[in-house]
Amino acid sequence: MAGLVTTFGAGAMTNSIGEIREADFLFVIGSNTSEAHPIIAMEMKRAVHRGATMVVADPRHIFMATMAKKHLQIKPGSDVWLLNAMAHVIIAEGLCDEEFIAKQTEGFEAVREAVAEYTPEKAEEFTGVPAEDIRWTARQYATTERAGIYYTLGITEHSHGTDNVYALANLVLMTGHLGKPSSGMNPLRGQNNVQGANDAGATPVYYPGYQNVNDDAVRKKYEASWGVTLSPKPGLNLNQMMKTLGQDLKGMFIMGEDIVLSEPNVKNVEEGLNRMEFVVLQEPFLNETARFADVILPSSVFAEKDGVFTNSERRVQRVRKALDPPGNAREDWRILLDVAAALGTPWEHLDSPAAIYAEMCQDAPKFAGLSHERLEREVHQGKTGIQWPCVDEQDPGTLYLHKGGILRGKGLFTAVHYRPSMELPDEDYSLVLSTGRTLYHYNAATQTRREVGLHAKQSEAFIQIHPRDARRRRIEDGDMVTVTTRRGEVTCQAIVSGQVRRGSIWMPLHFAEARANLLTSDAGDPVTQTAEFKVCAAEVRRAPESAQKGAADAPACGSAFPGSFYREAVPQNRQP
Amino acid sequence: MTQTTPESTGTAPAPQGTLFLDGEAHAFQPGETILEVARRAGKTIPTLCHDPRLEPAGACRTCLVEIEGMRRLMPSCAMPATEGARVTLESARIDRHRKSLLGLYLTDHPEAETVAARRRPNLLLDMAERYEAPTDWPKMAPLRASRSGDTNPYIDFDAAACILCARCTRYCDEVESVSAISLAERAAQTTIATADSRSLLDTTCEMCGGCIDTCPTGAMAEKRPITLGAKHEQELTKVRTTCNFCGVGCQLDLNIDPEADAGRGRIVKVTSPPVGTTTNDGNLCVKGRFAYEFVHHNERLTEPLVRDEQGQLVPATWEEALARIAEGFGRVKERHGADSLAFVSSSRCTVEENYLVQKIARASMGTNNVHQCAAT
Repeated sequence: MAGLVTTFGAGAMTNSIGEIREADFLFVIGSNTSEAHPIIAMEMKRAVHRGATMVVADPRHIFMATMAKKHLQIKPGSDVWLLNAMAHVIIAEGLCDEEFIAKQTEGFEAVREAVAEYTPEKAEEFTGVPAEDIRWTARQYATTERAGIYYTLGITEHSHGTDNVYALANLVLMTGHLGKPSSGMNPLRGQNNVQGANDAGATPVYYPGYQNVNDDAVRKKYEASWGVTLSPKPGLNLNQMMKTLGQDLKGMFIMGEDIVLSEPNVKNVEEGLNRMEFVVLQEPFLNETARFADVILPSSVFAEKDGVFTNSERRVQRVRKALDPPGNAREDWRILLDVAAALGTPWEHLDSPAAIYAEMCQDAPKFAGLSHERLEREVHQGKTGIQWPCVDEQDPGTLYLHKGGILRGKGLFTAVHYRPSMELPDEDYSLVLSTGRTLYHYNAATQTRREVGLHAKQSEAFIQIHPRDARRRRIEDGDMVTVTTRRGEVTCQAIVSGQVRRGSIWMPLHFAEARANLLTSDAGDPVTQTAEFKVCAAEVRRAPESAQKGAADAPACGSAFPGSFYREAVPQNRQP
Repeated sequence: MTQTTPESTGTAPAPQGTLFLDGEAHAFQPGETILEVARRAGKTIPTLCHDPRLEPAGACRTCLVEIEGMRRLMPSCAMPATEGARVTLESARIDRHRKSLLGLYLTDHPEAETVAARRRPNLLLDMAERYEAPTDWPKMAPLRASRSGDTNPYIDFDAAACILCARCTRYCDEVESVSAISLAERAAQTTIATADSRSLLDTTCEMCGGCIDTCPTGAMAEKRPITLGAKHEQELTKVRTTCNFCGVGCQLDLNIDPEADAGRGRIVKVTSPPVGTTTNDGNLCVKGRFAYEFVHHNERLTEPLVRDEQGQLVPATWEEALARIAEGFGRVKERHGADSLAFVSSSRCTVEENYLVQKIARASMGTNNVHQCAAT
């Protein structure tokens, strides 16, 4: 998000989900959309059925690639090469929107100079994507009016994640694909309320509504509003917190996150947690992190509380209570008010989610026009919810950003150069491991692994490995394998799949008994500190258990993921 | 701030022309069908095989209208609106046609009691009642095969209740695009099948349940409420809320039986709001539609827990737990300063809850050390 804030002035999807079906060109990069955002994938499929051209850039031949005109099977971590080469082609072939660049942007010359050396031929060496495909994609993108870019963590979860975002934003700015319907740059958010959590100020550098904590005027406003003295010093972000556990940090409050499953290089996290003086957890289930907690507060799930979530397109929507929490569990907002009161700050006026939301919006200009009452009452463009910015009661909200000009004033080009990922394959660890989410589970999977159908579809941890890499290691489909990195090892089932790049392996992050994050590196992006979940060096070998499994009469083969499309020997072309 | 707030995407072209519905003039836009113009104008035209998410099939023949100059009744769902067209939506001829058509459908459809076992609305029976279709015509012997032995836990198919409108197979092709199910066999034996009659689990099916959502008769239905003998959908309380999984923000309806679980209430099924009213346009994925059992899971925490002197987590009262927190955080702050405390908030929780966590960090404890897992 930091990259988008820098270049455009707002860190959010520039378009709405409903505009996707109207797009004529979709560039999907680092997003396994049909598994991570199935409903957005349906909108993309709809565009393709309508005749739109889709290009998917991903190291794996994911489902969306079967519907794409072209699949750019890029080497993990080489995104800057691909994107700069596309920029190179657009500039070299005179496909820039010169008027847009002149009127609405700054810094183009630096980018022009920077990308001069990124020829498609050289990019082919680094990315593995044929130069002609890079040229074709660049031309299609630049010359199609309604051309949108869609990306997720495949772009950001790198030690050069912010560079990737800048490189994408450069393409958007040089072609003027911004401030128009179906045309823009769209990070698809991973959690139900990623946008809302950031909007609400659960970040070390912003008060609610992206107001800087080190801005004196903002701090004074909040000191007056909350009646306390506030710290002007920006706080630690999550990655920094994880690295200073038990050192600078001695006490921690964790609501609704299983950090020893979801954070990278978890062995260090566990050691740090052991040194903490006091840890509080607020959770609906006992999770892995509970082993380190001094107090655990039983909380509620979405069906048991009122409030709002803000989705990927900045749409604020109501969450409504349908049930009471079980036993003595309580709604999270009630618990937090109890905790605040116990800490000597009783906020009696905040007696409902509506009142809490009203207090938040009153001090954050971007949300000043929003309230629970309006969200209940109003429907815009036939849809529920209101998209921020929404500055006053009369404001119907904002369908797509940057319409009357870029929010930042001028869009900022940022020249970036390729930097290798922090850990590259070598003799000892010859494969590149990427991790991610699957359709059938969700993050730490405390919810989804308790579901019978999801379990039936995907019961255990697995890695996907290319047939040739598998053969060299005498691994067969369904074998148990041990995956090792410099940080740890896990054992899981192998899915041999021609849809993975040679030299790359892929693993889901959901399974507590084979924690992918024992393997991952906590190298962070220098700007956002987002960890490099997508690239680390790894090795795979057949696990001793395999021999035993083979002897037993139960066929282990394929049990991890029946019916997986990743087992199709030749990926079917599903383009209509 | 140069922010503007458009009324629409700016993509809607100017009206192209005018046609007449039962004599009234109505403007239409390029590409609109007669059905779309009529529904936008608030007219009632019955349909069974129509779903706005799908290409028109013109298969069920319930939406037939009279168009001046055309000899036969025409399916309004598949007829493009044309300049000056004079369309009759209600006439004795249409009524006669509709009654016979629905009567014929009923000869190949189970009785109301059997249909009720599907626990889903049945558009065909509702329509037959509204248009007073003959119900006493002799029944045909059912020849369509269901898929016995499909062990998937979510989606149940009852061939008897199927009217072969092919909404499910078209949805699977056109919207979800996985083509897991298709029409198979011929004539009276035509049914909805998977490749080699495999369980849906062993196909490309991603269990989005779109087949259930689009099915007009409940032939495709949620399996769990059927096997559990839950109440019929019409007796359940629908609570509209936002899905708690990914960032798309799908709207869904929790269908609650308020009396179940000793009065706490129970989610019996999840359905999607009508097409065109929310961002998800009537669609849901496997998690949104089927992953709600965790709410009622017996491993839910129901009491605060505190760690005792032996290092074991033991149940405690809220008063005890809160006192421990006040003491613990107070001690750390006093010894090491406010910035030795950190707050990990959650992008799974509501905006209000995130607001409270950051306010506690900043206003109660005096540190900006507050973050969550989602700031990439």
